[in-house]
Amino acid sequence: MDSMMSSSSGPSQPTPTTLPDRPSAFRSQSSKPNGTTNPLSSYPTTSSPPTQSSTFAVKAGLAQMLKGGVIMDVVDAAQARIAEEAGACAVMALERVPADIRAQGGVARMSDPQMIQEIMRAVTIPVMAKARIGHLVECQILQEIGVDYIDESEVLTPADPTYHVEKNGFATPFVCGCRNLGEALRRISEGAAMIRTKGEAGTGDVVEAVRHMQTVNAQIARAAGCSEPELRALARDLECDLGLLRQTAQLKRLPVVNFAAGGIATPADAALMMQMGCDGVFVGSGIFKSGDAKARAKAIVQATTHYNDPKVLAEVSVGLGEAMVGINCGAMGEQEKLAKRGW
Amino acid sequence: MTAQELEHLTIGVLALQGAFVEHIALLQKAAEELPLEHEAERHTTGGLSDHGTAQLSGLPPITIIPVRNPADLSRCAALVLPGGESTSIALIAARTNLLPLLRDFVKVARKPVWGTCAGLILLAEVADRTKSTGQELIGGLDVRVRRNYFGRQVESFEAELDLPFLQDGERTSFHSVFIRAPVVEEVLGPNRKAEVEEHVEGPSGTVTVTAPSKKATMAEVEILARLPGRAKALKDKVATAEELGEDGDIVAVRQGNVFGTAFHPELTGDGRIHRWWLKEVLKATRSPER
Repeated sequence: MDSMMSSSSGPSQPTPTTLPDRPSAFRSQSSKPNGTTNPLSSYPTTSSPPTQSSTFAVKAGLAQMLKGGVIMDVVDAAQARIAEEAGACAVMALERVPADIRAQGGVARMSDPQMIQEIMRAVTIPVMAKARIGHLVECQILQEIGVDYIDESEVLTPADPTYHVEKNGFATPFVCGCRNLGEALRRISEGAAMIRTKGEAGTGDVVEAVRHMQTVNAQIARAAGCSEPELRALARDLECDLGLLRQTAQLKRLPVVNFAAGGIATPADAALMMQMGCDGVFVGSGIFKSGDAKARAKAIVQATTHYNDPKVLAEVSVGLGEAMVGINCGAMGEQEKLAKRGW
Repeated sequence: MTAQELEHLTIGVLALQGAFVEHIALLQKAAEELPLEHEAERHTTGGLSDHGTAQLSGLPPITIIPVRNPADLSRCAALVLPGGESTSIALIAARTNLLPLLRDFVKVARKPVWGTCAGLILLAEVADRTKSTGQELIGGLDVRVRRNYFGRQVESFEAELDLPFLQDGERTSFHSVFIRAPVVEEVLGPNRKAEVEEHVEGPSGTVTVTAPSKKATMAEVEILARLPGRAKALKDKVATAEELGEDGDIVAVRQGNVFGTAFHPELTGDGRIHRWWLKEVLKATRSPER
């Protein structure tokens, strides 16, 4: 993994992923003066301009391009095309949607690379794929076949009981799940360039997605009101990096893009998550486990854009056929919850 | 130009999908800085107001708004099309009944428009490597762009560009971020678009699409920036880079009211291009010939 970060020929190139210098994905939104200065004044000025690939800005930048969009779970090329035609901003390629993983049980692993590559050939939008928590070889394989984003996902069976993958060394960007701010910032310090709240995948019940977004929002609001000593104490409580917590407090949002996931099944669910302040939504089983996948996929895309326009929301919610059969999270045993996976 | 429009200038950022919040933040910052800069300029010219300052004198209050529907668009004197997924943006625009209005905005009313990355693709008259069933374009720039020119995400990069149009006491070097970026493959001369239309198949099911024609413009396509060295570096991977010779890939163009960049100035926090464009908008909306 050592040579994955290509460095340019310039002298004393700053390591793009060193924590204190980590560029925020929201430099343009920072109210701090140092967040708006050109951070590249340290670049060497040679006759042939340096180009750097796989920097944090490049990884987080793709997530910024996905904002306001819907990322859909697909299991084959045909579904991927339906998702692209519906207006999905990316697809997640996997063998079984979470609802089936839940129903069938057993160990859920990375999908067959050939199936992922077929999907990559079928569409022109970014393709993401899932690796098990802590399974760095699955991540290496996904990077090798060229997926645009790797989801180190609790939906698959975790491979490491202690650690998540060290993501900074990969050229391919990562998205990871979280239930709270501490978990989100731990993943970002490992190198995640995008976060999604976990919700409870494969249930069609939005309550856990709401709970996780609420928790993250409340903790950010708390951090924003903290003095420096209080921030230190909060960083200990949340078990996260102080620098990232400080940055979050200043930005009043996560320093990377944050999508909602896990249980979104209707256009109204998607709009609800957007109104709570997420940057976009993942829809897993909700689309292709429903009665009319094409119509529902389109409607969720429209609802995500027009999340604040009840007139549009009413229009797109009409006549979508049957939603996926849900599982009520309240009636679910704690040990059945996928969101608990991840440390 | 009516007195009412002079009083207030509304600039929109298309907010259907993508990185529109970043553009809004940088435009807002540019709008706040402009009066200060304008004051400073007045002092240095010692009251002998030359042409440049005359055009900018008496700045109107500027409002930046997200544009999601026809009513929003009708308020705008200028528009930014942000980065995002051009297929998503085109589909959502079509379903929101915005496409014909956007084409009129760009190609009939000829109001100032700036597209970054996905926005540049939408503003091209011809686009290669679109999804198998094609996609809608707005058009306005007589160029042919290629989507995902450099490859997938692992081929995305940051680079230093020279942008001579930024001169004005400012540095012209600009750090830029390219994310699954397109490039301008070709500037289209007269009748060239018709030829291109016959040519539709691309590799692995992708297709070439064209924008519906509207009122033609006499304005020339200006090449404002190239990415040096990349064409050579990519020779092994992308055969067509050779057509560009050693001059480098075209990454910024302008034709009359339409400006397009293949990279993302909204991702760096460096607001110089936004400030430059805002000044261009002010000049255009206040020049008598419009």
